Amino acid sequence: MIDERTEEAASLYALDLLDGAEKSDFESRLRRDPSLRALVEELRVSSTALALLAPEAAPPDALRDRIMASLPAHDRPVRTSSEPAAVSPIPFPFAVWTGWATAACFALATAYLASLYVGTSRELAAARDLESVARIDAESARQLLEAERLLAQAQVADLRNARVQIANLERQADVARLKISSLASLLSDSPHAQAVAVWNPEAQEGVLSVSNLPALPADRDYQLWVIDPQYPIPVDGGVFTVEPASGDAHLHFKPKEPIKDVSKFAVSLERKGGVAKAEGPMVLISP
Amino acid sequence: MMPTPPESGTAETRREDEDAELIRRVARGDREAFASVYDRYSRPLFAIALRVLNDAREAEDIVHDVFIALWNKAGDFESDRGTAFGWCVTLTRNRAIDRVRARKRRGELLAESAPADLGYDENQAENADSGDMLWQKEKAAVVRQALESLPAEQRSALQLAYFGGLTQQEIAAKLREPLGTVKARIRRGLLKLRELLPQGL
Repeated sequence: MIDERTEEAASLYALDLLDGAEKSDFESRLRRDPSLRALVEELRVSSTALALLAPEAAPPDALRDRIMASLPAHDRPVRTSSEPAAVSPIPFPFAVWTGWATAACFALATAYLASLYVGTSRELAAARDLESVARIDAESARQLLEAERLLAQAQVADLRNARVQIANLERQADVARLKISSLASLLSDSPHAQAVAVWNPEAQEGVLSVSNLPALPADRDYQLWVIDPQYPIPVDGGVFTVEPASGDAHLHFKPKEPIKDVSKFAVSLERKGGVAKAEGPMVLISP
Repeated sequence: MMPTPPESGTAETRREDEDAELIRRVARGDREAFASVYDRYSRPLFAIALRVLNDAREAEDIVHDVFIALWNKAGDFESDRGTAFGWCVTLTRNRAIDRVRARKRRGELLAESAPADLGYDENQAENADSGDMLWQKEKAAVVRQALESLPAEQRSALQLAYFGGLTQQEIAAKLREPLGTVKARIRRGLLKLRELLPQGL
């Protein structure tokens, strides 16, 4: 028997009005209660019917052409829910792997410095795990590069340079000034999208590591913004795209303006190539 | 009195089966099927986005994104979990609501938020000149009739909840009612709507 309070929560859930702890508590109950799931499904159908009440309006004729033009030029492989996703080779230009190697070493350096910063034995252990994962990631990246025959002597030199950079970072006196921020999803249909931004104020550069963001059409990019209160508008941190299969991305960024104090990081959805001033919706934001 | 469904159960089921088949063809990369889905759904989806956002350009962007998502995710659609149209409506509303909430986070002022009364004006509707539009109008009439039978306060709460892009607290503030009262109205209104709407609408 479903009581009134639960019916109320079910109605709010069907209308996507629950959030935070209320939502996660309700979803726990949903997983255990088939009759509650049936009720929510019925209420979702009823709430969806409300959509038909929107006053009639026609999109411009040009929208149809714009959408058809946004579709990929070649037909997609057949994919249904019972079949695994088709895998197509992803081109790996030289510059991407150079950046990946640099970002991986920067991530190594960041993990090491973060372990000094946190200071407690439990946090130190977690940071050591992070460092191990980063080393494994770096090692996997080096193995992949070799397999693709893209790793050249210049890349080895880049790694040596990155080690020099790591040594320079290690010499920096005030490790506590590194800013590490986590960005949470604002997308209701991609709630697991997230990112971590590591910002080095002395070097005026940082690394953004993104996961589970949806892939974008060809005419769009994600754009990173650095919010510094001294500027009236957020500062451009650069554009990036995610790997379609995983939704992951790694961006080494240098904001277009000198940054004195970072109050927030944010990611928005913009036109291809990015914009000078944020126009599109925010998809990730730090607290 | 129960509202009359626009088509017999058989005709409605046939239409849903056609839609589901179109989506399966889209999942196989059939552009012609995709164009048919666009022709069937673009008007109501645009209407929903426009109703939520009050901005035609942003509504266009939302519809664009929904159809691209439909192209990419058509293989995820499962017909035993609901209708193709319902799936697209949900995609559209979610994206439109996200855009509304993103506007608030950027500190921009919203255009006047959704009025409690939709103020639907039948005279503004274009003449139905296709089977799809006629079907939509008839279904909308059934839903409107069901909604009209609800008490005004439940109607207002449901409309704000669906189209407003507001949180529970913001709906309560907009209606100048306690939060508990608003929640109860939403519960009663939605349960009543579930009873009044014919199965498979």
